[in-house]
Amino acid sequence: MSVQEVQAYSLVHATVRALYSTMLTPETWDTLVQAQDFDSLLNILSKTVYGSYLQIERQELTPRRAVYQIRWHMADVYEKLIRLTPEPGRELLLQLWRLYEVDNLKATLRGVETGASWDQVRHLLYPMTKYITLTVADTEKIVRSGDMARAIELTRHTSYYNTLVHALERYRTERNLFPLEVALDLDYHRWLWQSINQLTGIDHEQTLRVVGTVLDVNNLLWAIRYRVYHHLSEQEIINYTLPFGYQVRDEDIRAIAAGANIAQVVGHIYPNVEFPPLVSGGGALSALELSLRRHVVKTCRAAFIGYPFHVGIPAAYLLLNEHEIRDLTVLIEAKASRLPAEAFVSMLATRSPAYQTDQR
Amino acid sequence: MFRPQAMSKVELVVPEHDVVPVTKALAASGVFHPTLSSHLGGERVPHYAEDWQERAATFAELERRIMAVMETLDVDEGPPPAETPHLIEPETAQMDIEHLEWETRAPVRELEEGQRKLAQLQRYLDQLKPIADLEVDLGTLRNLRYTFVLLGTMPVANLERLQTSLELIPSALVTLRREEHLATVVLFGTQRDADILNRAARSAYLNALEPPETYHDTPAEAIAALKSEIERTRQYLTECQTTVDYLHETYVQRLCHLLWQVRASRTLAETITRYGRLRYTYLVAGWVPVSQMDTLQQEIKHVSDKVLIEVDTPSRQEDGHIPVALGNPLIMRAFQGLVTTYGRPRYDELDPTPMIALTFPLIFGIMFGDVGHGLVLALLGLALVSRKVRALRGLSGMGAVVIMCGIAAMLFGFLYGSIFGFEGVLKPLWMLPLENIMDILLATVGIGVGLLSLGMVCNIVNATLTRRWGHLIFDHNGLAGLIFYWSLLGLAASAFVGDLPISPILLAVLAGASGLAVTFSKVLERLVEGQRPLIEGNLSAYLIQTPIELFEIIIAFLSNTLSYVRMGAFAVAHGSLCLVIFIMAEIISPAHGMGYWIVVVLGNLFVIGFEGLIVGIQTLRLEYYEFFSKFFSGGGMHYRPLTLVSRGGE
Repeated sequence: MSVQEVQAYSLVHATVRALYSTMLTPETWDTLVQAQDFDSLLNILSKTVYGSYLQIERQELTPRRAVYQIRWHMADVYEKLIRLTPEPGRELLLQLWRLYEVDNLKATLRGVETGASWDQVRHLLYPMTKYITLTVADTEKIVRSGDMARAIELTRHTSYYNTLVHALERYRTERNLFPLEVALDLDYHRWLWQSINQLTGIDHEQTLRVVGTVLDVNNLLWAIRYRVYHHLSEQEIINYTLPFGYQVRDEDIRAIAAGANIAQVVGHIYPNVEFPPLVSGGGALSALELSLRRHVVKTCRAAFIGYPFHVGIPAAYLLLNEHEIRDLTVLIEAKASRLPAEAFVSMLATRSPAYQTDQR
Repeated sequence: MFRPQAMSKVELVVPEHDVVPVTKALAASGVFHPTLSSHLGGERVPHYAEDWQERAATFAELERRIMAVMETLDVDEGPPPAETPHLIEPETAQMDIEHLEWETRAPVRELEEGQRKLAQLQRYLDQLKPIADLEVDLGTLRNLRYTFVLLGTMPVANLERLQTSLELIPSALVTLRREEHLATVVLFGTQRDADILNRAARSAYLNALEPPETYHDTPAEAIAALKSEIERTRQYLTECQTTVDYLHETYVQRLCHLLWQVRASRTLAETITRYGRLRYTYLVAGWVPVSQMDTLQQEIKHVSDKVLIEVDTPSRQEDGHIPVALGNPLIMRAFQGLVTTYGRPRYDELDPTPMIALTFPLIFGIMFGDVGHGLVLALLGLALVSRKVRALRGLSGMGAVVIMCGIAAMLFGFLYGSIFGFEGVLKPLWMLPLENIMDILLATVGIGVGLLSLGMVCNIVNATLTRRWGHLIFDHNGLAGLIFYWSLLGLAASAFVGDLPISPILLAVLAGASGLAVTFSKVLERLVEGQRPLIEGNLSAYLIQTPIELFEIIIAFLSNTLSYVRMGAFAVAHGSLCLVIFIMAEIISPAHGMGYWIVVVLGNLFVIGFEGLIVGIQTLRLEYYEFFSKFFSGGGMHYRPLTLVSRGGE
């Protein structure tokens, strides 16, 4: 145990512990799942850590707005932990935070493509105020630009510009957002991998386990989706995926691209993860995706066991928080659509059976 | 001052023909925070009624068009006008904007097309440069029968991946030039695999270079032709730019004025769409500070005497989304900014601004005590407040904080006897930190104990205001926590100081009792506040968890208290840094010549800039994480008075 590590991470660890204790308990999840309707759900949520974010006029609190409001919590915890975490771990958290900026940019470009108004787009975005290169004003300008080339020109001051301006050629030919979105995703994940590799010692080891697993899952799902849904060629799948990862090797991706049995490849990578039987047949990608998300959640929880003074702890908490908010989004949409519990409960990653045993 | 301003809920019933002047009056008052009241109506709106929603959408579209013209002419919208511009009818605005679009469209399009052409030509040129020496006819490359050739640019990051993807396909990827992001490459293969190669290249974002058919000679000849074409295009662009600059000068004022007119009209229409609607009247609801209520009523009556006004002032504890208006004196406004950066106080809780206005300069002064340095900071603060230095205008809001910190640093400078690092000129009224290190550290821990206790007292006051009696008594930052903290301090002190006014046994009993209360605070709070079940979840898990939490609380008390040692440490560090400056100055010029004074001045500037910044950050950290966390939760709703001339965006 190094004194510097303990010194640097003691405050971060204390803060993460405090934040971790505010995550929704299994009992709260049960109550949320059993909520009668959207209003009851909001009522229960108002007594949780998300309560203060939902304090706006009830008439304005549509399901979409409610999701937007609870995302403010994620913005707050990211900003707090980025501020507290020392370098070089801070750089990693900044990279994780950038993912939402990339998602916002993609949503904004979708808005440009479909000719959506700013009012239609604004609450689909992740609220971000600090540690960003694209401000709300920039995003609004992009949406209002009404033209893809002009929109991309408005990102000139950001690191996304070079990627987008090059991919614009393809957009012009294909009139499809796919090349722009894939280019942004690949670029983002390369930067993320780079920031993992800039870490050393236990920081690197733990981050690789936590963030590397997320990167693996994304890469794996891309490869499978490109093959099953988009019917891309072997070469295209390879070019649209990443050659690095924690447990997922390039050979695995290339095997999927070349047409190998998906269930076998995934089973080989994760021998201890239980996948739903449908996956063995090659279908039901959403079930596979859910299993992999649960694996990520489990890995993040496991990071809290053992030596605590490393950047893996804040990273794991932030990822858990993201999954909690994703699950809440599912719940909000389900309750707003008046779906029965059995229709959506299996779609929640943080409330998996493992949750009951692993919790804290 | 210690609490957000008391707010009144206002509901107005406005006759249809008065809705515009009344809305303008509400906006002009600058105190009316509107809330959605469209749900208050319910009657069918008559067909002849104006459709404000449609007007708002029309104005939004017009605004977008004006902004598009402004962007093409590179016109900045500038700050909002001091007075609300006259509202405009959509038809008039439409005519205006159509005229402006017509005037600017052709020159701007020519300029844009010219720029695109120039960029394209430049790209061809850049791509041809690496193969300038090749004696190959470009026309021949286009029409190869058996060989596949693809020349183009691609991201450097994708090079390796493309090579990997083509491992099993007979092909060769040659990099001709590599820049920071992009590489110019040639992909060779056979025509038989053209489809695979094209798909692979496309997926690696290899953008093919396809110079127009006109460039069919050798690369060197094509480059020469391109260069002359680029020159011609540049000349053409200069002419276009002159025209656009002229248009900019001609229309800049008209565009800005029109934009603000349309924006104000759009905001007005949007505001009215949020009103409730009856057959002949509108229902308007919102919040106004109680102190401004009379003035607002008079202003509304001045506009229309047919408006019915209903005012209700809810109690602080009343559940509801009441916007929070902080009413601090002018001198504290800058500190208010520091508070709202952390969080906006809730309507029912204490506003920590007065506390931070006192403690922030105090903590800063302790760490940065020097008469000279404080004076420089105070003068810098004055410069910020005066807004006379253009480059510093953006920081003018922080001017008052810098002034107060400067004054506090001066006061502590007198206490420490330090002026610009010289420690023999003034007689210290208290002590020299460098010579009394233990004393200053202990003193600052004492101040820290005081500040932490103040934080807990504030938490108790907050709990009283919100009538959370269980929280007040049992919370670890409540009464039990305060007694626990002080009895632990007493026990610690009794180990070092023999004669305390309270016996250690009594302190131990107090610590035990309050410790138990804090340990089981959650259950006790729920018991007192009548919430059930008393224990959420598993009892055995709870029993295992509580001692750990108690341990965490004790550790937190210790670390929070010791955190304030940094105040003393920085006071010592400040003295040490100044000492180092004088040692360096002595080495440079032992006879105290020009070199000596240059080092002293530069060193002092370094201390003010660098250490001042660090001390500022540390002060903020102590306020946010040690002090605020004891009592301040934030999450209050922002008070946003209606205005018709706000900038676009959030």
